[in-house]
Amino acid sequence: MLGGSKKTQSSTALRRLMTEYKQLTTHGAPDGMFTAGPISEDNFFEWEALIQGPEGTPFEGGVFLARLTFPTDYPLSPFKMKFDPAIFHPNIYPNGEVCISILHTPGDDPHMYELSSERWSPVQSIEKVVLSVISMLAEPNLESGANIDCCKLYRDDRSEYERRVKQMIREQLGITE
Amino acid sequence: MSDDAISDYYSDEEMEYNYSDPEQDGDDADLENEEEEDYAQFTPAVLGKRPLPWEVEYESLEPDKLREIVNKDVEHVAGIFGVEPEIARALLRHYKWNKERLIEQYMDGPERVLAAAGLPAQSGLPSFSNSRSLAATKKPATKSKSFSCPICASTQPGESAMALPCGHTFCSECWEMYITSKIKDEGECDVRCMEEGCAIRIPTAWMKKLLDSHTYARYQELLLAAYVADNRNFEFCPFPSCDLTVMTPNFSPTPSALSTTVPTVHCGHGHTFCFGCGEQQDHRPLICAVVKMWLRKCADDSETANWIKSNTKECPKCVSTIEKNGGCNHMTCKKCKHEFCWVCMGPWTEHGTAWYNCNRYDEKAGVDARDAQSRSRASLERYLHYYNRYANHEQSARLDRELYAKTEKKMEEMQIASELTWIEVQFAKRAVDELVRCRTTLKWTYAMAFYLEKNNETIMFEDNQRDLERAVEELSELLESPIEPMTITELRSKMTNLTVYVQKRNEIMLNDTAQKYQDGAWIWNVSVPDF
Repeated sequence: MLGGSKKTQSSTALRRLMTEYKQLTTHGAPDGMFTAGPISEDNFFEWEALIQGPEGTPFEGGVFLARLTFPTDYPLSPFKMKFDPAIFHPNIYPNGEVCISILHTPGDDPHMYELSSERWSPVQSIEKVVLSVISMLAEPNLESGANIDCCKLYRDDRSEYERRVKQMIREQLGITE
Repeated sequence: MSDDAISDYYSDEEMEYNYSDPEQDGDDADLENEEEEDYAQFTPAVLGKRPLPWEVEYESLEPDKLREIVNKDVEHVAGIFGVEPEIARALLRHYKWNKERLIEQYMDGPERVLAAAGLPAQSGLPSFSNSRSLAATKKPATKSKSFSCPICASTQPGESAMALPCGHTFCSECWEMYITSKIKDEGECDVRCMEEGCAIRIPTAWMKKLLDSHTYARYQELLLAAYVADNRNFEFCPFPSCDLTVMTPNFSPTPSALSTTVPTVHCGHGHTFCFGCGEQQDHRPLICAVVKMWLRKCADDSETANWIKSNTKECPKCVSTIEKNGGCNHMTCKKCKHEFCWVCMGPWTEHGTAWYNCNRYDEKAGVDARDAQSRSRASLERYLHYYNRYANHEQSARLDRELYAKTEKKMEEMQIASELTWIEVQFAKRAVDELVRCRTTLKWTYAMAFYLEKNNETIMFEDNQRDLERAVEELSELLESPIEPMTITELRSKMTNLTVYVQKRNEIMLNDTAQKYQDGAWIWNVSVPDF
């Protein structure tokens, strides 16, 4: 029992990350939609996640690699999520960083239209965030676009958007036509 | 002045205010019974002397006094519902301190109201009897065994686990961090359960238990700020580091009220501000919406554009802006080398042999251009006429600090030069007080005149303005005059008389404008938006 001893932030973060890792490995993700874990057991603050493209969307069939970077004051502050390689999506910056309200702290709202209930809070978890990102892949949020060109394409020419996404998946998987 | 009297007076006013608000009708009938007792104790004298017709009644409140008023409201509702003050406070906060609406809806269905406000159901409802249980710190099932906090994932003894009645359990340290960040970083006093989508409110008892004294004090401040923000009859003094609040029991700054009234108030520390727009000065007789327009006009560079329009012309070919600073009318554009006539703006070649003078005045394009230019020149001159006078009075009023010091010295001189006592030379200070007040009025009358349509009312307005200004300048001159021991009695009576006269003129000015706002007699030459 640790009760009474003053916990330092990074040890809290480490303990929490280990708990989440344990839960993810024992229960697995729902429908096996993703797997996630530390890149190396020496450093629990850098994770890797493999995400399946949701079925019935242009992303179906793709497998995407994302890096999760945790701050030392996790879970008070949210982690960062970056697709590597970047994927073509309205809410993902061209450098691969994911822009989603659940990964923003209630304090910072650069665009002023996110409800504070949609933001990061310590009761969120890696699993919930990754599941939100998967549903974001299926349903982009054009109000807070990160990749403006992609937003325009999604709005104006849906079939071209879908073609570009499928092409990107093939390229990433190394399938040539 | 008893505390009860003020608070009762206030709640009484809440009712009146309701009558004038079409959104919230329908609950006055119930209320009349509620408030009848209070009404009996109603004493208009609590707010001091009867105000002049163009003034609003107000009272300046110390923070403690404000807290008392808030508590009074809370206890009133707690008494009616038979709940803990804590619950009543949360309900009132949820209803933005609209007591009448809360009472009505609570009577219809207490469970629904409580749930919406994020409060646990009260036992024994709706019979308003012994329901004084605040099941706030209900211990979770893991009591006395160790438990693992889902946030920090640490295993802790059962005592540190805390849950609201919703049952979401976290350790006390995580709760503390969460509540502290809500209060300190977000400035939020309505803190709800940490669990996603859970609306249960965190009770004050928890705040007291978990927060350090500094954060708890901040929490209390936020509560008061929320009360003042939600309540239209309260406003904080906008002066930096002034902690007073001003209450206007008979006046709520609605757009319609502000289109006829200028609610100038003074806090107990002597700061003057407008209850409607927060402008840190007395801007009578001009209403808030027009003050805002005028200040914006003075601040932005629309008049720079006007200057350019009236003092420059554009090259007819390449439209670059040209200011003629001398020489003849045969212009050659520096940029495109186009040659044209400054007078008629036509190409120079058409002037033929009539070198160095232009006889083509009748040409239509030239006439239009000249008309447009003289119009914008006239509009600039008009603006500058009013602005210069406005700025002049502002400048003079700004020098009042200096004038006070000078007058004080003069008052000492007078004492030495004559037999007068300190009390008896106070007339000079009174004169300065009045002078500053009238200059402020005058300043705004010029801004007002700029926006007034020319008609008979305006002519009367300008007459009043002229009379006031003349009297003010006379008084100002008198204050500057040297002190002669021989004439000091004469000076004293002259200055006292003039002060009274100036004061009278100012009253007439304010009275007249206020009356015409009521009658809707002022016609603006621009469309005035709602404030």
